[in-house]
Amino acid sequence: MKDLGVKNENDSLVDENGVSDARVYEVGYLLVPTLGEENVPAIYGNLKELVSSFGGEMISDEMPKMIDLAYTMEKVTANVRSKFNTAYFGWVKFYIDSQKVLELKKKLALDANIIRFLIVKTVKENTIAAKRFVHRDTFKKRTPVMKEGAENEEVVPINKEEIDKEIDAMVAV
Amino acid sequence: MKQDYFSANNIKHIDYKDIEILSKFINPNGKILSHKKTGVTAKNQRQLSGAIKNARFMGLLPFVAK
Repeated sequence: MKDLGVKNENDSLVDENGVSDARVYEVGYLLVPTLGEENVPAIYGNLKELVSSFGGEMISDEMPKMIDLAYTMEKVTANVRSKFNTAYFGWVKFYIDSQKVLELKKKLALDANIIRFLIVKTVKENTIAAKRFVHRDTFKKRTPVMKEGAENEEVVPINKEEIDKEIDAMVAV
Repeated sequence: MKQDYFSANNIKHIDYKDIEILSKFINPNGKILSHKKTGVTAKNQRQLSGAIKNARFMGLLPFVAK
């Protein structure tokens, strides 16, 4: 499995005592698609319990959703190699001690329902950007395009005259 | 893209789950666009490439497309 990504050093949470070394971590995971829709919430609940059993304090999470994988993944469980093209993708964000997260990683690696998981250091705030910024930009770009189109239509009759002249010139030759 | 996309949209942390944004910075073959083409600051380009690589690992983006 992938090593812990070192990203935001400044987000560590040290208590007044200076003892606690809690940080914000996020675990993204892929669950096997053979589970079935009805079993997903149970496994999602177990995962959250596992995190809190290590002293993790939940910040936010998302229910695992069925996604199409960008490429085929393989996982060997009990000497059987299985291939996956779809999976349930979910994530949990929490505060946890930086020592405990290594134990959590070992636990997750043993879970047969998880195809892959990724632990990253992150920030407390919501990191998925609001989409409206993108839309505003595209709107601004679209309006001048419309005006150019209107201008082109006015130009068309002039072009026709020019074309007629050119044809006349061709015929004369 | 001449200006830094991330500072223009006030994005401080580039998230590997945000495929809509990340897919703007990969070419049709799935390769990460160069710093020269993206116009992103050096710091954000490093974060961006890390986020794309994490997204690839989780099967959200392709390693190789086509």
